[in-house]
Amino acid sequence: MLLVVAVPVLGAILLPLVGRFCTCTRNTLALLMVLASLAGSLMLIGPVMSGQVIHLDFPTGFGHMMLLADRLAVFMALVSSLVGGIIVFYSWGYISHYENQNEYYFLVVLFLGAMMGLVFAANLLVLYIFWEITAIASWRLIGFFRSPAIVLRADKSFLVTFFGATMMLLGFIMVREQAGSWDLPTIKAALVGHPLTNMAVAFILLGILSKSATLPLQTWLPDAGVAPSPVTALLHAAVLVKIGVYAYARLFVVNMPMPEIWHTIVPAIAATSALVAAGAALLETDLKRLIAFSTISQIGFIFLGLSVGGELALAGGLLYILMHGVAKGGLFLCAGIIEQNTHCKDITKLGGLIKTMPVTAIAFLICTFSVIGIPPLGGFFSKYMVIAGAAQGPHLWIVLTFVGTAFLTIIYLMRVFVLVFMGEPKTKLEPEGSPVMVWSVALLALLSIAGGLLIYYPSLFATEATRQILGLIP
Amino acid sequence: MTKLMYFAILLPAVISLLALGTRKLGKVCAATALLGAVVNLVVALKLFLAPAHAVHIPWTSWGLDFTLRLYPFSAFIVLAAAGFALAITLYSLPFMAKREHSGLFYFQLLLSVAFANGAALADNLILLLFFWEGLLITLYGLIAIGRPGAWKSAMKALVLVGVSDVCMMFGIALAGHYAGTMTISKMHLVLTQTGPTLAFLFLIVGATAKAGALPFHSWIPDAAVDAPLPFMALMPAAFEKLLGIYFLARITLDIFALTPGSWCSTLLMTLGAITILVAVMMALIQKDYKRLLAYHAISQVGYMILGIGTAVPAGIVGGLFHMINHAMYKSGLFLTGGSVERQAGTTDLNKLGGIARLMPVTFICFFVTACSISGVPPFNGFFSKELIYDGALERGGIFYAAALLGSFLTAASFLKLGHSAYFGKLSEANKGIKEAPWAMLLPMLTIAGFCIFFGVFNAVPLHKLIIPALTGSSFGAAHVEEIAKTHLVGWPVSTLLVVGTLVVLALALLNHFIGVKRSGSGIGAADHIHYAPGLHQAYDAAEKGWFDPYEIGLKLARALAAVTWGVDRFINWVSDSLAVGLTAMFSYIVRALHNGSLSVYIWWALAGLVLVIVFLVKVN
Repeated sequence: MLLVVAVPVLGAILLPLVGRFCTCTRNTLALLMVLASLAGSLMLIGPVMSGQVIHLDFPTGFGHMMLLADRLAVFMALVSSLVGGIIVFYSWGYISHYENQNEYYFLVVLFLGAMMGLVFAANLLVLYIFWEITAIASWRLIGFFRSPAIVLRADKSFLVTFFGATMMLLGFIMVREQAGSWDLPTIKAALVGHPLTNMAVAFILLGILSKSATLPLQTWLPDAGVAPSPVTALLHAAVLVKIGVYAYARLFVVNMPMPEIWHTIVPAIAATSALVAAGAALLETDLKRLIAFSTISQIGFIFLGLSVGGELALAGGLLYILMHGVAKGGLFLCAGIIEQNTHCKDITKLGGLIKTMPVTAIAFLICTFSVIGIPPLGGFFSKYMVIAGAAQGPHLWIVLTFVGTAFLTIIYLMRVFVLVFMGEPKTKLEPEGSPVMVWSVALLALLSIAGGLLIYYPSLFATEATRQILGLIP
Repeated sequence: MTKLMYFAILLPAVISLLALGTRKLGKVCAATALLGAVVNLVVALKLFLAPAHAVHIPWTSWGLDFTLRLYPFSAFIVLAAAGFALAITLYSLPFMAKREHSGLFYFQLLLSVAFANGAALADNLILLLFFWEGLLITLYGLIAIGRPGAWKSAMKALVLVGVSDVCMMFGIALAGHYAGTMTISKMHLVLTQTGPTLAFLFLIVGATAKAGALPFHSWIPDAAVDAPLPFMALMPAAFEKLLGIYFLARITLDIFALTPGSWCSTLLMTLGAITILVAVMMALIQKDYKRLLAYHAISQVGYMILGIGTAVPAGIVGGLFHMINHAMYKSGLFLTGGSVERQAGTTDLNKLGGIARLMPVTFICFFVTACSISGVPPFNGFFSKELIYDGALERGGIFYAAALLGSFLTAASFLKLGHSAYFGKLSEANKGIKEAPWAMLLPMLTIAGFCIFFGVFNAVPLHKLIIPALTGSSFGAAHVEEIAKTHLVGWPVSTLLVVGTLVVLALALLNHFIGVKRSGSGIGAADHIHYAPGLHQAYDAAEKGWFDPYEIGLKLARALAAVTWGVDRFINWVSDSLAVGLTAMFSYIVRALHNGSLSVYIWWALAGLVLVIVFLVKVN
């Protein structure tokens, strides 16, 4: 488990050095590091599924438990490293035209490593440190193209998430005061029967919402669409925005009970966020901003699943993280191919691309169907589970809002597909992207199909993780 | 034996992939598709003859299990679907040959068969939804490969059906929650509490929308023009009716006990009646062969919903009988339309006329199926409609009147269609038209033959297909006892109803002659209704799409989007301008205070000192 975190975090530093001698070795090495995380996470499946909880202790001034692997953590690590690996692979094709590649690979791998650290963190301070590493890495990555307007956007996203993180740190300090420890297991034991104070919950929630780009701290995410496409895929789809969701699960669902009122407030925030972003997506014309709005909207579904309570919804929320990561990653990477080949991001100025980019078009369509939730693709199951789980709860109006949002999802996503790929060509028709990029999107589309047809395995993992979270089994 | 049900799902799916693999090989692909359809029919026949049984594979812990149930009802649907699939595949061989995307067409056709079989056999609600919603993909794909620009209709279909499927998903979630199980045959809910009633309503939206009822219907006429014609004969005419009405019947007979007195029953009947009338009014004024048929495909669903909604035995049996009858005659009608399209190159009624002599076999098929849909004795549509009338009259004269008015307009529009397409003056351009090839005629003739057979020998389908289907349903069995006492088979008992029907048909004929005389042509036979005061304006608005639920829905969505866009931009303003502005203002003020003047700093220090002293004094 230590290796899962350490290989990418420490290895990332090597990458710029290697890059000075041979770009090819650097690229391979970057992918290998992420794949090492994936392999490590895969190896952890066996032990955690047999009920073990692995932890790594060494005493420091702020607690002694550093890292911990349970089913939830391994699930999340698998999702992030899987999608992350494909994105790094895609970058081989995408980023090869630009400068500062050494910095790019360094930051991406560092980012993924920090994500691994965050996932396995068992201590509030460790969690905070990795949290900020991801923020710094994403700040540089969003501002990767150095023009002033773009750097301004990068600053914005950093400031918003940093604001959230500071609030969260305040919240953590309050938790420390109340529970007497930074270590999550100790906190959990101390808080049994004594929910957190409302103030602490509110502060930590601000941090989570800022990272997951949920109302009212969502606007940095569409603005961050100026980043290179693999980065937006990494940030928006697969990893960064899932950090907040994961932290919510790790902190509030697993370890720290919240006062009852928050079980209404959080779903309500999620519903508003989902609806507002879906509406905005319907009017947006910039391809990447649009997909970013869609991410905000879908994150609302995940929050609903995690916050509404109940086994079905929780398992659905976890599956949603996987299915959405894969499908949305695919959408962003397709957008990257389109953007790079046509030099145009305005969907009203595109059209007819299916003629020359059939693979990208089909991959985009499959990922679209998955996000909409059409069987046999993976998104169907997660969407059903979240809606069904929430329907068992008391908040019928909130569920109906989500049903309405699901309608909007169909409309705005099909609108994109139709405008970009169908109809009469409005730009010069460009050929497919490089084979590496096309293979990456095809792989993600295939994963979406596999996630549906082989639903048995992810579903089993998610439900087992849920049971562990809810304490139904050890 | 138990594996047979898996084959019904897996074989078409696997062969569809073969068709996809060979899509560039023209004839090989078509042959693969034909093979797939034949194999599927063989499996369906074997299933039909097999004893009822169920298979169950536990899958997930949250309700989704792989549970299939073979019983007379599901076997009947699978068999019917297989029959249509084979007929339409055969028909497509000449029709789709040399067309672009014919490989994709066969691939999606077989995939639809696999999904439809799965949906019919599933006994787990989530599994049913899985197959059911999977049909969305082929629905979209099959329309999109039509003529250039068909993607607009494809998107319309996907959005409308997709929205209804999301409703159904919610309904399924609720139903499963209240019933405590997802196994359909074990679900028993009553319609007296709020929760289950809500579930019922959402499920009904899914089922009726799939069948093509209002308000999720408006993609069908558009698709009729844009999609490849065999698609119309396959999906809106046959599969979607079979599945939609099948599921509606399972909702009202298996999951919920719909009783004749309940408001849910009245609601269904009202929905049925409105669907009949609105769609048939639109059908009457169409000037395109395929669009006219498409509106009838909507209108006829109204009869089925009305029949099942009555919740009395005659109505239910009539509704189900009408389902299979409709699938046959509407599929047959679309096929005649395709044959005209292929041979004459157009389906515009203005350009057709007088082709009955040139395409006699097609015309005979059209005649039989048109008589069926209009309810002319002794064709099959007559008998099922009489049963529905019987049920409707039992529940209220108004519903009977609506159904009868619907029949009048149906007959009128088919007189107009037949007159303008097959009779009248043959134009110069159409002189060279020849009869369609045998591979297209054979399916049409078979279907027309079945229309006569199911009419004259209506005891066979009623006893072998419909009543066993009811026997296998939880709440249907009670109806069967009643049916045994009443007389549903053979010539209708109530002479009054028959007289009513005949009078209406005669009126339609009279109306047609008046119309032809006034306008001077077959195509103008309905003009006196079209341009009647009041109706004229309504028709104009409808033609402009003012009543199209899709357009209205999109407008609503856009209005909602405009509001949420404003919210989003406001929040953006708060973070981008307000927060930045406040920070700038604060630093401006602080900077103004730090002007470098020593005297000002001393004053500040003194003021601070005073505050400290005040604070200390207060504390002490």
